[in-house]
Amino acid sequence: MMWEGIALGLFSFGIIGFGFFWVIRMEYHLGYLWWPYPMTLGILLVVLSLFTGNAGWSALLGITGGSFIWGATELKEQAVRAELGWFKFNPNPKPNPPGLRWIKKIKAPHL
Amino acid sequence: MLEFTGLWMALVTFLSIWCGHVGVRWLEAHSPNIRPPIIILLVSGITLNVYALFAPNLTLSGVSSIIGITLMWDALEMYRQQGRVLKGHAPANPNNPRHAAYLAAGKAITEDLLDREPQGSPVEQPTAARAQGAPAYKQYREVEA
Repeated sequence: MMWEGIALGLFSFGIIGFGFFWVIRMEYHLGYLWWPYPMTLGILLVVLSLFTGNAGWSALLGITGGSFIWGATELKEQAVRAELGWFKFNPNPKPNPPGLRWIKKIKAPHL
Repeated sequence: MLEFTGLWMALVTFLSIWCGHVGVRWLEAHSPNIRPPIIILLVSGITLNVYALFAPNLTLSGVSSIIGITLMWDALEMYRQQGRVLKGHAPANPNNPRHAAYLAAGKAITEDLLDREPQGSPVEQPTAARAQGAPAYKQYREVEA
């Protein structure tokens, strides 16, 4: 029996749960304009998964990468949720992400 | 040689979250009774996980299990989405008899409050949505019972 597949399913469940955690924290402390950074991290993890030479490690990196890419698209909606009072709103000024000028030229992704 | 297992897993993880995210909202908004879709989601999820145990290779097994577990989570999200509608956190569909009853009882709104750009400061939301919340959901359940 192929228990490894179930392990990957459970791992994806866990990593999606971790996604809830970091999206809320990242939006609270840094703000949604940082979205390109988790997206780049996710893409890099997926690219790295191509070169592991091991199906198991490749799968774990791919799942983590896919989840980070999704999380990046959730940051904007999380900012709206916080503004609506559904999550704690951080009244303090948030740090600008490096490359803010370019980031503002692209509409933050939201699916 | 490139190892493509991770790429498949990434695609399936991303697409299953996306489809679940959009699909649960649509299914909850269009189902007069949420129990049948919940049962279908649960049975499909369990079936895919059982298949994952007997799949011929790791990629197919992983893909089946990821989709299966996501479908099982979506079954739970159907209840959570119903709660969001009753809190005014998700728009009610007036053409759905179940949602129409929530609207008639003043327990839901049709406006999608999330459909806006972040503005950097707290937003005043409609009174109907603010006044509800979990207690209103419980009250409605009691009336329904």
